Amino acid sequence: MRAWRDMDEFEGFLDAGGVVEPNDEMPEPYRQAVFRFIELHANSEYMGGLTERDWIPKAPGLHRKLTALAKTQDEIGHAHLLYMVAADLGIKTREEMMVDLLEGRTHFHNVFHYRVHSWTDQIAVAYLVDAAALASQQAVFKNCSYGPYKRILRRVIAEEGFHMRNGEEMMLLMAHGSNTQHEMMQESIDRWWLPAVQLFGPDSRPNDELLRWHVKSERNEDLRDRYVQKFVPQLLACGFTIPDPGLEKDQTDGKWKISPIDWEPLKQTMRNGGPDSARRISDARNAWNNAAWVRDALTNQPAST
Amino acid sequence: MKTYEVFLKREGKDPFTHAGSFDAPDEEMALIYARETYGRRGEGEQMWVVPRTAVLSANEKELAMADRDHKHNDGLRVAELRRISTGEES
Repeated sequence: MRAWRDMDEFEGFLDAGGVVEPNDEMPEPYRQAVFRFIELHANSEYMGGLTERDWIPKAPGLHRKLTALAKTQDEIGHAHLLYMVAADLGIKTREEMMVDLLEGRTHFHNVFHYRVHSWTDQIAVAYLVDAAALASQQAVFKNCSYGPYKRILRRVIAEEGFHMRNGEEMMLLMAHGSNTQHEMMQESIDRWWLPAVQLFGPDSRPNDELLRWHVKSERNEDLRDRYVQKFVPQLLACGFTIPDPGLEKDQTDGKWKISPIDWEPLKQTMRNGGPDSARRISDARNAWNNAAWVRDALTNQPAST
Repeated sequence: MKTYEVFLKREGKDPFTHAGSFDAPDEEMALIYARETYGRRGEGEQMWVVPRTAVLSANEKELAMADRDHKHNDGLRVAELRRISTGEES
């Protein structure tokens, strides 16, 4: 167990590449900030896993059903790992985090606040959204000052890699499939492009604590820009268009520039006021309640009625 | 619920490595959870699952090296002596 005299000494430790462990006497603002960040990540994995679950029966063919099943287990598994890491920070128990999520008191990523309309929407989520999530997780993993989170991210990232590859495979099938398939895929790209780009959030504030404390190692705008440079050419090469009339290639540096983003609707969405937020949260609550008998059976309690 | 720590050993000579932790109601479920959480893609060929309360941890002071320099040789003196013996200017 280590302790630091004050925040200056602690920040010096972090700047020198120091890694914090759960039994260290870390400054309270750091503990709180790391906890909130991991809780948001855990909630997002959990809500994402439930979306994935919805598509197991609807996925076309046995192979896709099996991969949807595996991905569901991965996402719920990530939530499981992350809730453990968060609980060890001693701020909330896992049960408290679940209750807060299901009562709508805590938050999860924007991309899980919208309806997934079709199988190609699900592909767009796997291809565009998972890639955005993966890029932001990699930026945390690279240099994360909180040891248990960094270690668990290694596993999460490896598995997200499978999902992204599955997503790309399915997107390419649709891109080179029939006209109907191509059009369906385009409609889904039109729906999911902006939410995926928004996943990185607005530009990082100059005094962003998570950057200063080496939890994140890259600014939101840099991650977003790298994503745009990678995915615009990929989508165009597949014969798709990008739903952004202002998108253009800068003639001087050859980089793609997207239109300015209006962040106001996102703020509302993140406060659980998005188009599908209420349904998703109540769906998660039902899933939790319907599985109460399993939890009771595991702990040898009489079934709750 | 009880918290367990999982250690995995990959093939070959690698030592057991801490993989993470999880909660389980009993030992039977602990093994199932451990496998499904940390070993479902062949991440290891051997696994130890240990109740967290059974893990004793030594603190930094007990592991400090300050008074144990004699157990190491960083090679600096060797380098110095080599330079002298070959007549090189340091």
